[in-house]
Amino acid sequence: MTDALANLSISWFDPWLLFLTGAGTFAGIYVGAIPGLSVTMAVSILISFTFKWEVNEALALIAGIFMGGVYGGSRTAILLNIPGAPSAIATALEGYPMAQRGEAGEAIGLTTVMSVFGGFIGILALALFAPVISSFALQFNSRDYLLLGLIGILLVGTLSGESFARGVFAGALGVLIGMVGLDPMTAEGRFTFGSITLMGGIPYVAAMIGFFGVAEALVQLHSLHVPAIKQKVERIIPHPADVKRYFGLAMRASGIGTIIGALPGTGGDIAALLAYDHAKRSTKRPEVPFGQGCKEGLVAPEAANNAAVGGAFIPMLTLGIPGDAVTAVIIGALFIHGLKPGPLLLVETPHLFWFTVGNLVLANIFLLIFGLTGIRLFAKIVECPKAILFPLIVVLSAVGTYAIQNNPAHIYWMLGFGVVGYFMKIYGFQVGPVILGVILGPMMDANYRRAMIGAQSDIGLFLWDFVSHPISLVLTVFFIFMLLSQTPLGPWAKARLFAKRPDAAQV
Amino acid sequence: MQSGSSRRPGELVFAVVLLAFSLAAFWQAYEISGFSGLTTAGVFPMLASGTMVLAALVILMRTAGRRGSEGGAAALLGRFLREVTPLRHAAMLALILVYLVAMPWLGFTASSGCFLFVSFAYLWRRSFLVSLLLTAVSLGAIYVIFRVVFQVVLPQGSLLQGVF
Repeated sequence: MTDALANLSISWFDPWLLFLTGAGTFAGIYVGAIPGLSVTMAVSILISFTFKWEVNEALALIAGIFMGGVYGGSRTAILLNIPGAPSAIATALEGYPMAQRGEAGEAIGLTTVMSVFGGFIGILALALFAPVISSFALQFNSRDYLLLGLIGILLVGTLSGESFARGVFAGALGVLIGMVGLDPMTAEGRFTFGSITLMGGIPYVAAMIGFFGVAEALVQLHSLHVPAIKQKVERIIPHPADVKRYFGLAMRASGIGTIIGALPGTGGDIAALLAYDHAKRSTKRPEVPFGQGCKEGLVAPEAANNAAVGGAFIPMLTLGIPGDAVTAVIIGALFIHGLKPGPLLLVETPHLFWFTVGNLVLANIFLLIFGLTGIRLFAKIVECPKAILFPLIVVLSAVGTYAIQNNPAHIYWMLGFGVVGYFMKIYGFQVGPVILGVILGPMMDANYRRAMIGAQSDIGLFLWDFVSHPISLVLTVFFIFMLLSQTPLGPWAKARLFAKRPDAAQV
Repeated sequence: MQSGSSRRPGELVFAVVLLAFSLAAFWQAYEISGFSGLTTAGVFPMLASGTMVLAALVILMRTAGRRGSEGGAAALLGRFLREVTPLRHAAMLALILVYLVAMPWLGFTASSGCFLFVSFAYLWRRSFLVSLLLTAVSLGAIYVIFRVVFQVVLPQGSLLQGVF
């Protein structure tokens, strides 16, 4: 316990780590807030610069960027009606009408306080439940990991994309990219075409920066000359009465956020939408109708999406399964720093776990400070024309990719993925599952083969194992349920079950 | 991107390309170790590319089933150029390509400077001096942050060795 506390507070007393966490939070807020720079993009570009650093320093910065980035999206949602990140879509629905009434400052203040509140709930859940889940996860077998990987990719693929087939294709493409290089078990070349460069595999950071940074920037190039709206910002600190009034709602929303964040495949965006939906249904008499600047509708999604940060760290650190695209990027960074997210992380390196928890707490405090200050300056920064942003993103992506292994070839990969990602986005594919596939693919491959070897290459025995062990059975049932829900049977069952939820669809 | 009942220009071609790519990937995956065992290096790549082939088939069928764009091939090409690769995209992609080719010669700093200047001038269309100033400021910031603070070794050019 004292060890845990000591590790938890390392960065609290080390001025350099304190500074890095603060700087990360700051950068996260501002980069995450600029429309066109999503949290994932911010995280993947900024994280790439930490690869040469000490683990502690990198972890401090990463925690800050993640916390700040998830929150940052809400600012542009309120000020410009452009959600800086998908997790701020619900925020825009209520925040922008408030800004139009001249209450932008108040909306930002309330959002900040509630985000911080939600953030703390999520971190608390992480500290309490991660050790429990982790020890439980030690009983997981290789086939369970295979199933978890499949479920994770499918969830991200189906929840966010245009169609199931597109999600599956993107996920499988990612797995395929992850396979390139020498097979870790037999050292046979896979898709190397005799090239030495390809034997080392395709670096997933190049894929990440390409798919999220350059591809997104190319999409944004379509709306180059959409003018920004100027806003005036007044009162920022929220009324204490408001905070007290929405406490219960924020509490429930944070609960939703933590759970959704902890589920593989779902992150802040879905947490925010579900919490918004919950607020809409649980608020009987809102002061202002929903959709016209209702504070309940602002509090719930913001508390939820930041609570999802702590939640998302749970499967990431205990199972090694990223919860969404951002955590997938962070998991990639953790691997590069020599950490092995998974059930053994808490056994082998408990200090890093508590250190991360401490950093998240710290980042959350910084969030409160930076969230309530500098809003006027901020209103200027978000007006930065995309014509300036685009070239900068390209150059930053190039440095970021090169920085990992000082290999210029990686820059070509990155830009290649950027162009492919652009076309995928244009034609309705999500790039999140690709990244998840790249990261989870090798893990799934290794676990599949271990499970198959365990079953002595007997397909019957291999399949029997999936239903004869309790943990595997639960996961198998869940996986099959997921697949079935995507067939025509799914919408039919959904329509029967959720017949009373017509509002959920339009959120 | 928004979903619609009609196809986006080039979507059908893209679906065909995906299918062709998936088939090629499957063939390559088969080449790794064939069907010689269930735990060989090639099994998982075959599963992944096989899934891609199936998904690409479904995508192609659905795309083909949707209403296509009206007008002939020329009109379709026109829409593709307008909506998917407008001049701005083509120009920026070409610029990025030149930037990449130039980087090994000029080094990171010089090539990035040129790239930033030309793209600012092209995309933002302000005066020569404003673009130049903006380039200097952003390049300076990038250099200080990454080379000095983060200690990232930036690619050096073969032409200007030792200068940048």
